[in-house]
Formats: sequence, structure tokens, C-alpha cells
Amino acid sequence: MSMDDRIHKQRIADSLEEPTREANRLARKLGLDPFPVNYWIVDYDEMNELIAYGGFQRRYPHWRWGMQYDRQRKQRQFLGGKAFEIVNNDDPSNAFLQESNDLADQKAVITHVEAHADFFRNNEWFRMFGTDPEAAAMLERHAETVAEYMADPEIDREEIEEWIDHVLCLEDNIDQHRPFSTSGEWEEDSPTGEDIDEQLEELDLSSEVKREVFDDEWLEQISEDEDGPTFPESPERDLLAFLTTHGKAYDGDSGKAVEYEEWQRETLELLRKEAYYFAPQKMTKVMNEGWAAYWESKMMADENFATEDEFVSYADHMAQVLGSPGLNPYKLGFELWQYVENRRNRRAVIEHLLRVEGVTWRNFNDTVDLDAVLEELEPDPVVDDPVGHLEELDPEDPRIDREILSGVRDGELDHETVETYPWKLLTYQGLAERHYSLVKREHRGFLGSVSQNELERTARYLFETDRYGSIEAAVADVDRTAGWDRMFEVRESHNDVTFLDAFLTDEFVEDNDYFTYEYTHTTDDFRVTSTDAADVKKKLMLQFTNFGKPTIAVEDGNFRNRNELLLIHQYNGVELDFREAKQTLERVFELWGRPVALKTIRKEFDEHDIEVARRRDREPEPTEQGTLIRFDGESFEREDLPDESVADIAATDLDYDTKPDEWL
Amino acid sequence: MGLEDDLERYREVGEKRRQDLTEFIQYGDLGDSRPDEVKVPIKIVDPPEFVYDPRDIGGVGQGDGGTPDVGDPVGEPEEAAGDGDDGDDGDEPGEEGADHEYYEMDPEEFARELDEELGLDLDPKGKEVIEETEGDFTDITRSGPASTLDFERLFKEGLKRKLAMDFDEEYIKEALRVEGWGPEAVFEWARGEHIPVSRAWIDDADGSIPDGERSRWVSIEEMEANVDREATAARIRREGIEEIPFRRSDERYRYPEIVEEREKNVVVVNIRDVSGSMRESKRELVERTFTPLDWYLTGKYDNAEFVYIAHDADAWEVDRGDFFGIRSGGGTRISSAYELAAEILDEEYPWSEWNRYVFAAGDSENSSNDTEQRVIPLMEGIDANLHAYVETQPSGNAINATHAEELERHFGDDSNVAVAYVQGADDVVDAIYTVLSTEDDDT
Repeated sequence: MSMDDRIHKQRIADSLEEPTREANRLARKLGLDPFPVNYWIVDYDEMNELIAYGGFQRRYPHWRWGMQYDRQRKQRQFLGGKAFEIVNNDDPSNAFLQESNDLADQKAVITHVEAHADFFRNNEWFRMFGTDPEAAAMLERHAETVAEYMADPEIDREEIEEWIDHVLCLEDNIDQHRPFSTSGEWEEDSPTGEDIDEQLEELDLSSEVKREVFDDEWLEQISEDEDGPTFPESPERDLLAFLTTHGKAYDGDSGKAVEYEEWQRETLELLRKEAYYFAPQKMTKVMNEGWAAYWESKMMADENFATEDEFVSYADHMAQVLGSPGLNPYKLGFELWQYVENRRNRRAVIEHLLRVEGVTWRNFNDTVDLDAVLEELEPDPVVDDPVGHLEELDPEDPRIDREILSGVRDGELDHETVETYPWKLLTYQGLAERHYSLVKREHRGFLGSVSQNELERTARYLFETDRYGSIEAAVADVDRTAGWDRMFEVRESHNDVTFLDAFLTDEFVEDNDYFTYEYTHTTDDFRVTSTDAADVKKKLMLQFTNFGKPTIAVEDGNFRNRNELLLIHQYNGVELDFREAKQTLERVFELWGRPVALKTIRKEFDEHDIEVARRRDREPEPTEQGTLIRFDGESFEREDLPDESVADIAATDLDYDTKPDEWL
Repeated sequence: MGLEDDLERYREVGEKRRQDLTEFIQYGDLGDSRPDEVKVPIKIVDPPEFVYDPRDIGGVGQGDGGTPDVGDPVGEPEEAAGDGDDGDDGDEPGEEGADHEYYEMDPEEFARELDEELGLDLDPKGKEVIEETEGDFTDITRSGPASTLDFERLFKEGLKRKLAMDFDEEYIKEALRVEGWGPEAVFEWARGEHIPVSRAWIDDADGSIPDGERSRWVSIEEMEANVDREATAARIRREGIEEIPFRRSDERYRYPEIVEEREKNVVVVNIRDVSGSMRESKRELVERTFTPLDWYLTGKYDNAEFVYIAHDADAWEVDRGDFFGIRSGGGTRISSAYELAAEILDEEYPWSEWNRYVFAAGDSENSSNDTEQRVIPLMEGIDANLHAYVETQPSGNAINATHAEELERHFGDDSNVAVAYVQGADDVVDAIYTVLSTEDDDT
């Protein structure tokens, strides 16, 4: 780095010292609890490198990073080269700020990053990888390990890169809902058929029981015919662990399966670990991005973290992020979080209103003047403008930060500081009232849109129905932190699938104009098929469940009694991309060293049916056909299976087809 | 190790997996390349995965200001594979439809590779005398590679600037303590004293003077008599320098002494028949043949310039961007193009200084007698390393399309006239070979 460069970066770093410090304080005030964040100022090229490396400074050597870097460079050149945020999940987290961004962008990134760091730290799914990710150190270690293998004159670099490619084909084929354990530990936890005798010993059963229950016939049955047993006991979704433990490499020269070389085993194991490390981020993309967007907007816009002249540029940036077309995880997440907040706040208000004398769920709409309620819910002027009411602030008020207030009053804190950062005078509770969602212009209609159904349900769970003499008294009692409290609970325990399942309601789908589409055979293109909330939700869940990919599991490591590998696709009504599946099987062969097979279900359309359907303006019905695809290292063979052989993998009540019965 | 390394490996892998050059020339997409950058598609296989069939999975969209109606078509989903077949049997990975990566080669590399693949051996000749950079780094220029930056000079200039911009802050502040003087008076006075201080700085400093000190001095004279002004140099010696104000305008780069050398420069005249008979397929074949020729010659020579001439019964010069796209009506008179070519070459590209290539292409149709009476004499009159005519006639010869044949008959195996026939993409590389291997060594 040239001196000029260093001086330049230092100057930027200095100018960002206050924003980073204050953003963290504000975040904490708002109830966030982020990992400490190290901020780095990087130039354009360094930023591209970081993006290519998935947010880290060192990764294992592989030409694909070079390709991504190249792509990244060209794409950003084309798009004007602005990048807004890179932060990695680590303790402390590392965030990277591009030197050429203006201050408004930097502030937006910083507030966004603080929220991500909070999410990393507090979302339980991230704990699956352990309590301290030590990510940068781990990835660096991996980089060194692979680099050492590559430097080894005995090992061909290209061979290592290819091996890495084989493994990467299966990087999502792990068991992401289980805590990470090394494949050694994994093996100990997964009994194989070979261990059955041993296990029976361990069970310490009386010889009668053994004779009665685990008789020879039974043993023989589970061992399938003469020699080989079937394993694993139940389908195993962690393909990488299974391969690390039982896989062999294929030696082309001898045409035989051979034990892994050390470098093969190690590389597989470390890639598996990285897959587990990155899995939580993939599982919480919508939540995490929405969370960051939500708190960024709270801090930047609502708390004026962007100064007035920066605000335009910030708003523009936000509009770009949220406005990109298609199904945008930022936007979906952002809207869902607002929905979580509003819904809980609304429930809290309704609960109180239903406890007002004379108000019942039946007469709610006639007896309660919601405009008046909203009026009552407006934040107290004291929290709305604490600086303007400095004299009136009461240190005993739980909404007021007593220490800061006395600091200001004693002159220890200058007036300017609280004028710039009025939130300093408030507590979490004060801020919750200051930013109370239901009275915001964009959400004012939310309270009124409560359904009769929800009123009734809320009323049913209320025990004390007569407590407040007036609506004013009831509203005064509403806990303004309810919405935020709920958001913090949700961010702790949910992932995208459960998040969407719980909060993507009919109301939400309708308000946001979501729809589903399907490929239609009659027109040979994609058509809108439904705007029904249940259909939209079903489709969305499909895109988020299991990384949006089909579930594949190891059924048998001793298939056909010849140590072949049988994978099953747990069919849910959507068929595989067969071209990709076959290519993937070729790679699995490299990792298994012996023939591999995949059992799945295929949809077949009869030409005649398609023609008939087209004439009648309907969609043709496919036939579902059980299929076994086997690859022996040279060629594929396909075998149709009778229905009873695929009963275990067939979809039951799941149906992801959203086409209307009467088409068009 | 690190990204630089990965990038280099990517280039290696890309080179290995790039489309074969002859295949690229004949069937590849030339349109993504530029005159100075040849982009050859790389067959990159993204690691395959177990995924849902993109058609069968469907998806979710969000209406743009309103919910669309059931049955409305939606755009192709982004992730849907371009080919859309069920791939039941062995499609090659990385085929059309998927995102291409490109192996980028400059024309030099292209020429080298083509030489190798086709066994060509074209030796460019030096012509015009130009300046070459070789010698000691003694001259100085205002821009250049960072490694040649004259830092010592930059530092000295910065220091000078620092000295010129610096002033004794305390001395100015004392002036603010003269009774009745405000920032304005001080600024006027400082100007008079040639002290390089800004008005804004004085305003700022004024705010920091306690009221009690504002009438320390009765007059400026009294202040000057009692307070010593410290010279900048003395102060720097005492306090040191915190920061040197480097300015871009002070940067100088050492530059090598200039040595004369002959440059190998070339002008290529591309002539194309754009008359009504030149339909799309013929036009494409011309582009496929000419474009690699341009790259090749650009790569072979130090400096290549191009002249594009379109003609029907008349000829006119066009930009490269328009050259392959033009269609016109009218008849055909090939000599019109050679007349224009001769004119341009004489005026701008004297034979003593330039290597010259004159390539023409069309479907061999010409006005009667034009070839024999006008074109051949013109061609003989234009000094050039090489003349070539490329006939693009997908359907074989038309009856009265005899231009190519007439040329061949007249020039025979004459050293510097090449005639090539292209009926389809398969013939393109052969035509290029014919053209490039015709040039005579002692032209």
C-alpha cells in the first residue's frame, strides 16, 4: 500500500470513528446485542477480493475464486462499483467499508452491519456451529492446509482442485438442522450394520431376550441375504459425513476403489466444516437481511443517523436495495419484520381495548373510535423531543436515561451531543414509545384492519374482561415495547422456514401482491397460477426449505450387496432436474469410488394428453413413475421401478402444484 | 497464494477450456469481442447439484402495483435453464444458454495462436520510423507507472509548499488582541504583511479569544513591537513537520530516453458489397472472415489502422460499427470501391510508410466488364502486401457471378492476390488460411 493510500484510508477511518461508536451505542439502546465489530477501510479492488472470497481475507486456493473475482470486477465496473456491506459472522465480526463510498453510505453500512452482528450472535441457528465460530482463523487454517497439499510435489494441483469441485457439488447435502460435529464424532453417533453384534452386547440383554427377539432369522433379515448388511439404519442426509467415513476414491489406472489419500480425506472434511459454517447464513437470509434493513432504517431515518443532506442519498440507496425486482429477500424480510412488530403491537392494543368496560369483540367496531385510539397512542412529547423538553424530564421516568440526563444537567455532557443524538436521553422503553409502529403514517391503517376473527380469538384468551373505565386509561396501559420484545424473541429462535411459516399470513400476501407461477405445457411458458395466500406460502416455503433444494439421503451404503451407494430423493411432488442430477452422480462416483445410484420419481407427460389438454385449454396430468438411475463410472442406466418400490420416497399430502383445476 | 494466484490459475484453466480457435471463428459468437480484445467462450462447468427441475418448481413473484390475474404470462424466471429440455440424455455441460465465461486474449495472442493452429508464418515488415522507449530513465514526465515516480522531487515540492502555506498562528492571534480590531481588520493587515492566512481561519481563531484579552494591545504597532514573529523554518525546526501537503501536480515520473526505431505498421482496407443481392447469410460469412483477419493483423503489427468501404454501384467509407450491418439496394460496381481505396491510400497511407492489405468480399456479382476493364487495372495499380477477394456464395456459384473467377484467371498464382471461396461457416478457416498464406515474402 502506498503512503498516499495509507494516509487516505487513515483519514476515512478517523472520520468514521464517531459514527461507528455512536451506531453501536444506539444499537444497544435499541435492544440489539451485537458481536463487537472491527471495521476495515478497503479500496475498490480489495472490496472485490472480499466479495469473491465470501467476506474473508483468506480462502483455500482454487481457480474458482479467481473466476468469481473476475466476474465481480466486471459486474461492478458495469454497475458503477458501489458495494454497500460486507460483514462476516465471527466474534468479533469484521465489516468492510469501501473508501470511495460517501459518508451517508458508510453510515448506512455501519448501522446495517451492527444489526447483522446482533443476528449472528443471538440467532440460535448460528449456535449449531458452536458458540464461537472463530471463522477467520478457521478459514485461514483451511487455506494453509490446502496450500500445503498443493505445494507438495507428489500431489497434482489440478487433482486437488477437481476434488474440491466434487465435494462442492454436495455442499448443501449436509444435515443443517443438527449441530456440527466432526465426521469422527459423527461416525461414533451413527451405528452401522457392522456394529450390530457389538451393540447387542452393549445392551446387556438376557440371553432369552436375545434368543426371542434378536434371533438368527432377524439378524439375517437385517443383514440382507448372505453377507453384506444394510446401512445406515435410517436415511442419512449428511452425505458429506457419510462419504468421509465410508467413501473411497476411484483409481482410474487400476479401475478399483482405493482408500482416500490423506489430502482427500482432509480436504473433504474441511470443506464439510465450511459448509456447516455457512449453512446458518443460507438458512436465515430473509430474516437476517430483513432484520438489518429494519434496524438500519430505524437508526438512519427515524433516529436521524443520516444528517439531512445525507438522507436523500440514503433514501436512494434504500430504495435501490428494496426495489430490486423479483422475490427480494431484503424486501420480504423487511416487510415481514414490520409485520411481526405491527401484529404484536396491535394485539397488545386490542387486548387492552377489549378490557374496557362495555367493549366486546362483537361491538368493537361500533364502540371504539380507532382514530381516537391512535391519537392516544402518539408518543409523549417528552420522548418525541426530549431535547426540547430537557427541563421537564424526570430522572425517575423509566423512559429516560437517568445517567445521561444528570450528565447533561451537571454540564458533563455538552448540549450539542444530545442535540445530535437525542436518543441518548432515552432508554429502550423510551425509544420504543418514540418509534411506536402503529402510529407511523405508513402503518396507520393496520390497527383498523383487524379482522373480526382476530378480535374474537383475542377476546377468548382474556381472563379479566372489565378493568378499564375508559379507552384512554386502557391505551395508557399499553406496553409500547411489546412489538420490539416480540421481534427479539423471534430473531432468537426462528429460521427462514419457520419465520415464513409463522408470519406470512393471508393478510401479508394480499397486502403485498404476491402470486405464484408455474410452467404451463399448453402455452410453453410461465403463467400466473394463483394469488391465493395459501398457495403463495406453499411455494415460498418450498424455496426456503432445505436451501430450496430437494432432499437427498443415503439409503444404503451396501446397495446390491456390492458396496454400491444408493441415494434416495425424498420426493415432494417436484421432480429433479435430471441433467444436473446425473452430472452430480458422476461426481458422487468420484467420492464413493464404486457405482452409485439414485432412486427418485419422474413425471411423464403423454404427447397425446398434452395435445388433448391444449385443445381443451387445460393442463395435462403427468404420470409419476418411480425411477432408478445408476452410474457405474462409465455409463448410466435407467430402470423404471414399480410403485411399491418407491412408496417410501413418494409424496403423501404434500402438493406444490398451484395450478387451478379449471385452467384459464 | 491469495487471489492473484487464483486469478492466474483461472486464466490457465480458461485457456485450457476455451473454445478451439478454428471452432470459435467458424461457429462461435464473435459479437462479444472488440477489435482490441478477443473473447473466446470458456466451457466452465459450474459444479452440478441436486436441484429441482426449474420448470416443475414454478415460483413466487410480486406484483408491481397490483396483483396480476391468473393466467397472465410472467417473464422467464431468472434461474430457469436456457435450454429447458429434460436433458434425459447427455447434453454436454456448459453449452449455450448458460452464462459464459470468456477467455480474453489480445490480438497478439490471437495471432500467435492462429499461427500455431494454422501453421501460418507471416512476417510483418518495419516501415515508418517512430520513437521507441528504450534507454535510461533520465527524462521526466507528468504521468507514468507508480514505480517511476520521482519521490524525492515530490517531497521537496511538498516541503516548499508547506513552507509557503505556513504562518505563525500565535502571531495572528496576537493581532486579534489589538483593541478595536476584528477579523476583518486583522485579515487586511495580514494580507499587507504577506502572511498566507485565510479569512475563515481568522474568524475561527477570533472565536477562541477570551473577551478579557481583546484589548491587550492599544495598537498594532505596539503589538508588533512586543511580539516576535517566528520564522516558519525556525518553527519547523522546533516542532517538526506533521504532514507534508503532497499534490498530484507535483508528481513527476522519470521517463526513459527516446531511441528511434522503425514501427511495423499496417493499414487494412476492408471492402464489402452491400448491394441487394448480399443477403443475411452472405453478409454473416463476410463478417466471420474479415473479423479474424482484422484481429490477426492487429496482433501481428505494432500499429494497425482500418479503412472500411461499403459499395453497391457507388462506394463510400463507413465506420467499423456500421460496416457489417449496412444493406443497400442498387446494382454492383466493384471498381467504385477500388477507386475510393486508391484515393484514401494515396492520401493517408503512403506505400513507403505503410504495409497495406486490401480485402474485398461479395458474392462475385459485378456489372458487366467492370472486373476486367476497371477492377483488375485498379488492383494492379494499388501497391499492397496483399490483395484478396473473398467470395461468399452459400448456394454455390450463380451464373453471372464471375468476379472471383475472373480475378483468379487473370492473376493466376501471382504472388500477392488471393482468391477464396466461402460457401458456409465450414469454409471460413480455409479462406483465412488461403488469404494469409498468399502474401509473398519479398513484396
